[in-house]
Amino acid sequence: MQVSSKEIISLITLTSIIFLIAPLFLIRYILLYNKKKRNHTEEKVLMQEAYETELLKTQIEVQEQTLKTVAYDLHDNIGQLLSLTAVTLSTINVNDHEVVAEKIRFIEDLTQRSIREVKALSKLLHSEELIKMGLIEAIDFELSWLKRSDRFAIVFNAPERLTPMSKNNQETIVFRLFQEIINNIIQHAKATEIIITLEEIGNELHLIISDNGIGFDVDEIGEVKMGMGLSNIKKRTHLLNGIANISSTPGKGSVIKISIPHI
Amino acid sequence: MKLVTFNTAIEFICFLAALFLLPRDKDLAWKLMIPYLFLTFLVETAGLYLRKQGISNLELYNGFLILECFFTSFFFFRLYRIYQVKLKWLIGWLTTFSVLYVIEMIYHDFSSFTSFTATTMSVVFVLSCLYFYYLKLKDELYEPLLSSASFWWISGSLFFYFGSTVCNLFFDYLRENEPGKYNQSVRYLIFNILNIILYSFWIFSFICRYRQRRSSL
Repeated sequence: MQVSSKEIISLITLTSIIFLIAPLFLIRYILLYNKKKRNHTEEKVLMQEAYETELLKTQIEVQEQTLKTVAYDLHDNIGQLLSLTAVTLSTINVNDHEVVAEKIRFIEDLTQRSIREVKALSKLLHSEELIKMGLIEAIDFELSWLKRSDRFAIVFNAPERLTPMSKNNQETIVFRLFQEIINNIIQHAKATEIIITLEEIGNELHLIISDNGIGFDVDEIGEVKMGMGLSNIKKRTHLLNGIANISSTPGKGSVIKISIPHI
Repeated sequence: MKLVTFNTAIEFICFLAALFLLPRDKDLAWKLMIPYLFLTFLVETAGLYLRKQGISNLELYNGFLILECFFTSFFFFRLYRIYQVKLKWLIGWLTTFSVLYVIEMIYHDFSSFTSFTATTMSVVFVLSCLYFYYLKLKDELYEPLLSSASFWWISGSLFFYFGSTVCNLFFDYLRENEPGKYNQSVRYLIFNILNIILYSFWIFSFICRYRQRRSSL
């Protein structure tokens, strides 16, 4: 079968048309991909901005928490010590040498305790610096204040050191998560025992906090309105690309597990 | 004698656009577009004149192919500058082109259009365009391509060189087998469409370039 020149010319025309259409689709594809790249870049910027805002908020909250602790301590602890010092001083009879010596020793002891308290408060006021030293140290220091109240039996399990987190100031957010969970326990759980575990498994950091308090119905709280504290915990964990797992049974305490990837 | 055709008209418009939009451009390659487009217009008009006089214009187009190849290759090289493409690639390609061109000229006894060299050149330019897209896809940084002069210049070139590949491949066949006048032929129609696309894209790329320069002042 012979192909006529007319047919060949038609074939050449058709092929040329296809060769003209192909770049059209290619250019369209490149532009679409580029648009997706722009959306992705914008999303990244928005996420970074959200992260920065949340970080700022977290830092302010950490400071507020510190100031509250300082206020409570000034009122309940240092205030009491100084009042006792003042009362003891007012009862000194200079003629009664034996009692005077004893009272002075007592006042000296009270003063030393006040100095120690003020030093501890001063350290607390630099909580941001404390976080820079390490998450374990910051949590440990925070727990040392909680232990003073004798309201809770506290167990803190942590390795000797942790791998530094990749993103800037991630530790501050984790520390704030810890503070929020502890605050929730203090305010609502009516617990007597708190167990805090900080561990690294694979490429993830795990913060597990459990208590033996009254617990709550997770589904109910989620349906009605997730408490501001719990919703914040979820939101902030998500910001660190992590997962917050909240489990609780009424009457049997609660366990909150936060898993954050290192990269 | 009518010397104004679709081709010459769009080439002249493109030259005027370059003349108004590019003279103050900082990049030499873009600035050189002005004389290049002027020469293209002159060659096209001269080719038309010769054809109407019944004189062969093959020598003219064969000569212009050298200028087209050297200038376009240099332009591509300048566009790839930011991606650190080495000069040896440009020199290597231009040497290959020159060798092919001379061999084909000798083979056809200087009496035919160097269609094989032109097809090879088209293929190389198509690959260069595709490589540009590849680099853009690979680049993680977003660049607004709709207002990118280089993107539109490359896209116009891709349309032209990709679309003309078939015509170049069958150049001799079409010349011998197409009945009637050249300006009624398929070749003429395809090249008209290709030229309109090419120069429209290039004019838009000049506008982008002009805007870019104005906004950076």
